[in-house]
Parts: sequence; C-alpha cells; structure tokens
Amino acid sequence: MTGRAPWPMLAGLLLLTAVAHLTTGPVAIPLAELPDHVIVHAVRLPRLIVVLLAGAMLGLAGALLQTVTRNPLAEPGLMGVSAGAVLAIVLAIIAASRIEGLGMVRDTGWHLGLAGVAGGMLAGALTYALSRRHGVSRPVLLVLMGVLVAGSASAVTSMLLLTADDNQLRLVLHWTIGSTNGRGWVHVEMLAPYAAAGLSMGLLSAGIANALQLGDGVAACLGLRVEPARLMLIFAAAVLTAGAVSVVGGIGFVGLIGPHLARMLVGNDARRLFPAAALVAALLLTLADLGARSLPLGWIEAWSRSPVTAPSGIPVGVVTPLLGVPFFLWLVFAHRPRA
Amino acid sequence: MMLAPNPETGLRAEALSVGYGDRAVLERVALHLPRGGITALVGPNGSGKSTLLKALARIMAPSGGTVLLEGQAIARLPSAEVARRLAVLPQAPVAPAGMTVAELVEQGRYPHAGPLRMLRRQDHDAIRDALAATGMTGFAGRALDELSGGERQRAWIALTLAQDTPWLLLDEPTTFLDIGHQLEVLELVARLNRERGITVLMVLHDLAQAARFADRLVVLHGGRLHSEGPPGTVLTPAMLAEVFRIEARIIPDAETGRPHMLPIRHLPDGAPAC
Ligand SMILES: Nc1ncnc2c1ncn2[C@@H]1O[C@H](COP(=O)(O)OP(=O)(O)OP(=O)(O)O)[C@@H](O)[C@H]1O
Ligand SMILES: [Mg+2]
Repeated sequence: MTGRAPWPMLAGLLLLTAVAHLTTGPVAIPLAELPDHVIVHAVRLPRLIVVLLAGAMLGLAGALLQTVTRNPLAEPGLMGVSAGAVLAIVLAIIAASRIEGLGMVRDTGWHLGLAGVAGGMLAGALTYALSRRHGVSRPVLLVLMGVLVAGSASAVTSMLLLTADDNQLRLVLHWTIGSTNGRGWVHVEMLAPYAAAGLSMGLLSAGIANALQLGDGVAACLGLRVEPARLMLIFAAAVLTAGAVSVVGGIGFVGLIGPHLARMLVGNDARRLFPAAALVAALLLTLADLGARSLPLGWIEAWSRSPVTAPSGIPVGVVTPLLGVPFFLWLVFAHRPRA
Repeated sequence: MMLAPNPETGLRAEALSVGYGDRAVLERVALHLPRGGITALVGPNGSGKSTLLKALARIMAPSGGTVLLEGQAIARLPSAEVARRLAVLPQAPVAPAGMTVAELVEQGRYPHAGPLRMLRRQDHDAIRDALAATGMTGFAGRALDELSGGERQRAWIALTLAQDTPWLLLDEPTTFLDIGHQLEVLELVARLNRERGITVLMVLHDLAQAARFADRLVVLHGGRLHSEGPPGTVLTPAMLAEVFRIEARIIPDAETGRPHMLPIRHLPDGAPAC
C-alpha cells in the first residue's frame, strides 16, 4: 500500500460532503447562491464548521488513545472524559435552572461549555492518577480505570436525571446522545480554542506516538522519555474530547471508526495516521449530520403513536451508530487485514 | 573535540544494585565490557539478566552504583544521546497489530531524527542497510503479525540496527526460533561484530551457543556476578553444577577450539555442588 493516494480522495470527498451539507436541508439552496445566502451564513456554515471541527477532534483523540493504550478498541470516551463532561454539563443545567428559577436553560451557553471542559479534564486527570504505579502509568490500567471513572460519572448523571423535570430531561438527552442541532457561531467560538490547541498538540506528537506504540521498553531504548510522552498524548486527547463533547455532546463511533478507517488507508505511521484519522472522522460526522437532517421520522411516529419532539431534526448521535455499526461489521468480517 | 582521546572506551558497571520496588534483584554487580567483542550473558531464569541489561541501557535506574558508557555516567546523558550509542532489543517485544516491517524499522531512526523531523537521506540509507543486513528487504511491506517467529525476530533486530549504534544489547534474540534460525541470528550478530565493529552483549540460554559465538561469558547467579571470562575458563562442570544445578561433560570442539557441553542430568536440590 503506497499510503499517499488517499489524500486527494479524502480531500475531494470532504469537499463534496461539505457542499452537500450546505446546500441541502429544509430549504434547498442552489450551488450558485451558496456564497451569499443568508441561511448559509447564519445557520448552515457555522453548523458545518462545528461538525467538521468536532469530527476531526474526536477522530484524532481516538487515534491518540488507540496508540497510547495499544488497544484498537480505544475511543475518545476511554478515559472517562466524555462521561465527566456530560456529568458536569448536566450538573450545570440543573444548577442553572435552580438558581435562575427558569424552566429551561438554553443549551448554547458558554457556561455549559466551560463546565463540560472542566468536568471532562477532571475525569481524565482522575483516570490518569488512578492508573499510575511508582510514577508510571500502565496502559491496561488506563483502560480499566477509565471504565470505572466513566461508569461512576454516568451513574451520577442518571441519578441526577431522576430529579430533573421534562424540559431538563429533553435537553440533557441531547447532550448524552450528542447533537449538532442549533449550533451556531457562538459554538464555533467555543470550539475553536480547544480545536487549535488539541489538534496542533496531537498532530505534532505523531513522532513521539510512533515510538511509544512499540511499548514502553522499546520506546525507552529509542531515547524517548516514556511517561512525559504518554502524559502529553493523553492530555492532547483529553483536550480534544472534552472540547468536542462540551459543544456537541457525547457523540459516539466516529472517534472509534475514524481511526480504523484511516489506518486501512494510510497504515500505522502516526505522522500519516493522525491527520488521516482527523479527516476521516470529520467526513464521517458530516455524513452523519447530513443523514440526521434528512432521516424520515414518520415511521418512528407511526410506531410510537406520538409525535417525535425534535423540532430541529434528530440528534446526530443517533445516526452515528446507525452509520457506524454496519460499517464496523463490514470492517471486521469482510475486510481482510492488510497483506 | 580537541580533548585527549577518551582512554575509557568500554561499558562499565560499578557496584550496580537494581531492584523492583523493595525487592533487590541485582546486588553490587561489577562488570567491564571492552569495545569490540561479543559477550554472552548467561544464568538461570530469574537470575537478573534482563534486569542487568535494562540497567546498562538506562531503561531502569539503579538503586546503587553507576553505569559508565565510554567513561561517562549514563544516568547523566540525555536519553537520545544514549539511544544513539546503544541499541537494545528487549526480551519478547510486541508490536501493535498491523504494523509493517518498514514502519517498525523506521522507528530506529527516532533518536537521530527526533520527533518532529521527517526522515532524511541518511535515515533512509540506514533503514535500507538494516533491512538488507537482516535479509528483510523483501518483507518491508508485510505486517509483523503475519510473519513467522524468526522473521519477526529479524525485523526487531533490524530495528536496533537502524539505530546505527556502536553498542548492541540483545535480550534472548534466539528465543522461539528453530535451530536453523537461531544460528542464522547468531551468525548475523557475529557478522555485524566482525564487519561493522559493533560490540555485542546478548543474553543466551543455550550455553553451547554462547560458548561458540561469544568471546566472553558473564554468568549471573541469584543477582550476583558468578564468574566471567573466555568460554574455556568459565564453562566448567563446577560452574554448571553450582549455577544451573546440572551435571555435564565439557568436550573441546576440535574444529572451533571452543568448549562444547553435553548435559547429563539435573542435580537434585541439596546435592553437593561439587
Ligand atoms: N517488573 C518486575 N517487577 C517485579 N519484579 C520483577 C520484574 N521483572 C523482573 N522481576 C524479578 O526480578 C528477578 C530477575 O528478573 P529478570 O527478568 O532480570 O530475570 P532473567 O535473568 O532475565 O530471567 P529469564 O531468563 O527468565 O528471562 C526475578 O526474580 C523476577 O521475578
Ligand atoms: Mg530475561
């Protein structure tokens, strides 16, 4: 496999999907009117940017963690970062409605984003601290402690939800599933600093990741200071995950499948794998978002005999598994390992 | 540098003590490896061979004593500097699933190129040389987990060769290999020593092979240095009884002049060690 051919293809696909994302929707906008259509500027462009950034962030975070833990099933939520972020957001939603006496808090607030990042980073730090023995973190323990931290955070979230009212529940549900509905320029601004910091840190650490994925012993023999290196990769992944989840919620699958697909395209060299994982995941999330907006809801309504209460479309987090699971099955059963 | 040539060119351990947590494994080991030769490190399972190798390569910090690489305390050298002078093959390394031989061997250039730089001409040359020396050129694009044990072992040795270091430390390079591939790897080591002047320290379990391919044997027993020297003086029935608890006959090999060993039986515990 040459490893070079996929770049133009990826770029082309991404461009096509982005244009489709901008032109389709409740109001179809012809290509020629795209540059100065008010809906594009006010609604679709910021949403597209959020989707692209969040997808790239989740994809790179997944690739980073798969490399650090040498575990192909690692995904952005592995360290409990997603669950921690969602818990903090739920806490913030409930606290805010208590304090302000509002029935519902708009989910666009900066404070939710900040709470999410703080909660996610805290959960990640806890996982890292728990997986350290004699000053060295063990990848196996990272996975294990991540499960514990994520499980505890989700349990607390569920408990909080028992006391929430209907409006809060609906809002919180969108965070736990993950949604890009109604994301505008304010979300682009919220996402941008974490995207800039996390993406550059993650992409620049590809050389280090290459050495680290050979195992601690070999990496040390190659002159790598293993623990600081691992901490840096984990930190980059946590920033990316916490940042993305704080704006779009706990969207699953793209951070798992993106890196796998990228690995099939460009191989294991992190210097190619990391950017490819970001691009592929951005592409997947854009496709899923397109799907979320155009998925027919009539059959759900017919089946449940009640209207679907999703005024701005169903959350994209519902679509990513629908897209991801068949794809993953195909990956596992139909695709032979690289020969 | 205009300094006088460094009189100390070997790898030296002085009163080296190493442990895991509270458990001491090596106790005050003193060892000097001169430049140029092949040394085999032998000893029973758990005697501390891998631990000694890790301490010599600075992968483990000693609890006491020092390691001097060409006269410099290795603990005070930058990690990348150590990795440019001394390559190590750990015992039973595992590569991530799907990684190709070329991707693995490329990592040998890490201490030279650093984390941010792309590979340069000299890096590609070193990678090509390492693949050729180990006979792995034709396997460059193959995934490591689809190779035989011997091919995989050669790929890992190619990684250490790509590091292009004057020192090579190998921990059990022949485990899992059939006798043919064992000899192939040992002959490769001998050739690298002869043709490139690489100094080798390797852990071996087969004492006959150790005696055949190494200029010097170093025997570890229970975390202490038992004996060292040329195979002819170290490989004796007394040492075998004391360290490995076996009775064996030592026969000089007419062709190589090295001692050959014929194991006879295991000595029961408590039997007098000669
Ligand atoms: N990571 C570790 N933590 C705790 N103890 C260890 C660790 N690694 C090795 N030991 C212990 O240190 C001692 C020496 O181990 P070492 O791996 O150096 O032996 P060895 O001579 O290489 O043995 P083998 O021939 O089986 O490879 C053993 O008693 C072993 O149980
Ligand atoms: Mg060992």
